[in-house]
Amino acid sequence: MRIETCWFCSSKVYPGHGIQYVRNDAKIFRFCRSKCHKNFKMKRNPRKVKWTKSYRKLHGKDMTQDSTFEFERKRNRPERYDRNVAENTLKAIKTISKVRASRYDTHIKKRMMGNKRKELDRDRKEVRQDIDMVKAPSAQNKDPSFTLPKIKIKNSQPLEENHAMEE
Amino acid sequence: MATRLQFENNCEVGVFSKLTNAYCLVAIGGSENFYSTFETELADYIPVVKTSIAGTRIIGRMCAGNKNGLLVPHTTTDQELQHLRNCLPDSVVVQRIEEKLSALGNCIACNDYVALTHTDLDKETEELIADVLGVEVFRQTIAGNILVGSYCAITNKGGLVHPHTSIEDLDELSTLLQVPLVAGTVNRGSEVIAAGLTVNDWTAFCGSDTTATELSVIESVFRLREAQPSAIVDEMRKSLIDSTI
Repeated sequence: MRIETCWFCSSKVYPGHGIQYVRNDAKIFRFCRSKCHKNFKMKRNPRKVKWTKSYRKLHGKDMTQDSTFEFERKRNRPERYDRNVAENTLKAIKTISKVRASRYDTHIKKRMMGNKRKELDRDRKEVRQDIDMVKAPSAQNKDPSFTLPKIKIKNSQPLEENHAMEE
Repeated sequence: MATRLQFENNCEVGVFSKLTNAYCLVAIGGSENFYSTFETELADYIPVVKTSIAGTRIIGRMCAGNKNGLLVPHTTTDQELQHLRNCLPDSVVVQRIEEKLSALGNCIACNDYVALTHTDLDKETEELIADVLGVEVFRQTIAGNILVGSYCAITNKGGLVHPHTSIEDLDELSTLLQVPLVAGTVNRGSEVIAAGLTVNDWTAFCGSDTTATELSVIESVFRLREAQPSAIVDEMRKSLIDSTI
C-alpha cells in the first residue's frame, strides 16, 4: 500500500480516495479530490494556483531545500529486508519528523520577521485616522492623553498604545 | 532436458514463468502442478519463486532478466518488488524501470551477455538494461516484428527465433548474439516462441502441445542433452570473452 501524492496540490492520496487519470503515453495523474481533478481539466497550472504546494514552494512560502526531505523517496532498487534496519528506520522516522517540524517553525519565523513592524505601522495609522470615532476632536484637544507619543517603538514591544486608546 | 507442461490448461508456459540461470519466477496459480514441475527440475540448483507482477500472473511477459539482474516494469507494486528482492540471491540486482512500455518481457530478449530490445525503448532504459543485466544492448527486430522478446528465446548456448526469419536476418542476429540460431516453432506451430517456451542453459520448459519434432529441435539448438547445471561453463565462457576483447 503506497500513499500517493496528488498531482495538483501534492497532498496525500490514501487508498480508495480520489481519482486517477492515465494519459496515452502512460503518464499517471492522481488527484486527491474532485477539486484538483476539475482544476486539472481546466488546464490550470498548479504553479500558478495559490493554494497548491507547488505554488507555495515556488514562491518561497514553504521550506523546500532540507535534508529531511531526502529520506522520503521512491526507490526503484530495493534493499533486502533486515529486521534491525527496519526497526531503526521506524525509530528514525519519529526523530526526523520532529526535526523537520522544528526547522519548519524557524523557516516560518524567519519569513514572518518583517511583519511586526508593518502591523505596528498599520495600527498607528488607523488610530491616527479614526480616533474621532472614539472621542470628538474638541475633547481630544483638552485631554493630552489622546495625542500619540512621539517616541519610536521597537519591534519587540507589544501594541500597548492601541489598548490604551480604547479604554 | 526439455519438459512439457501446462499452466491451468494453457500451453503458453513462457507467459506464466521466467527462467534464468540464477533464478526462476513462477506465476501464482490455482493449483500447485505448474509450480511443482519447476520445483522438481530446479529446486536443487536455483531458487524457484512464486510471485505476481503488477498484480498479474503474466510475469514472463512483464519482466526481463538474466543471471545478473531482473528488470520489472513501473506498474510493479512496492510489495512485489520487496518480495522479489527478499527471495532472489544477493548477486541478482532487482530494478524497477520507469519506462512507458510495461511488458518488458515482450520488449527485451536477453542471455547473460547480449540483449535485443524493442526499437522504441527510452535511452535511459537502454542504459539501465546494460547496467543492471550486464549486457550489450542492440535495438533489433525479428522477422519484421518489433516485439523481440516474444518472437525469440535465447540462452548462452543457442537461440530459437520466429519461423519467418530470413537467412540473412538469422546470420546478422547470430553474429550479434555470438550463438547459433534456428528458426522454428513451439506448441504445434505457434510462432510466438517465448510464450510457448522458457529456457536456460541446462533445461527448458515448453507447452504440452509441443510436438516431438519441435522438442528435438529445441533440445539440439539449446544443447540440452549434454547440459548440466554447472557454473563452470559460464565461467569458462566469461574468461574466453574477456581475453578476446
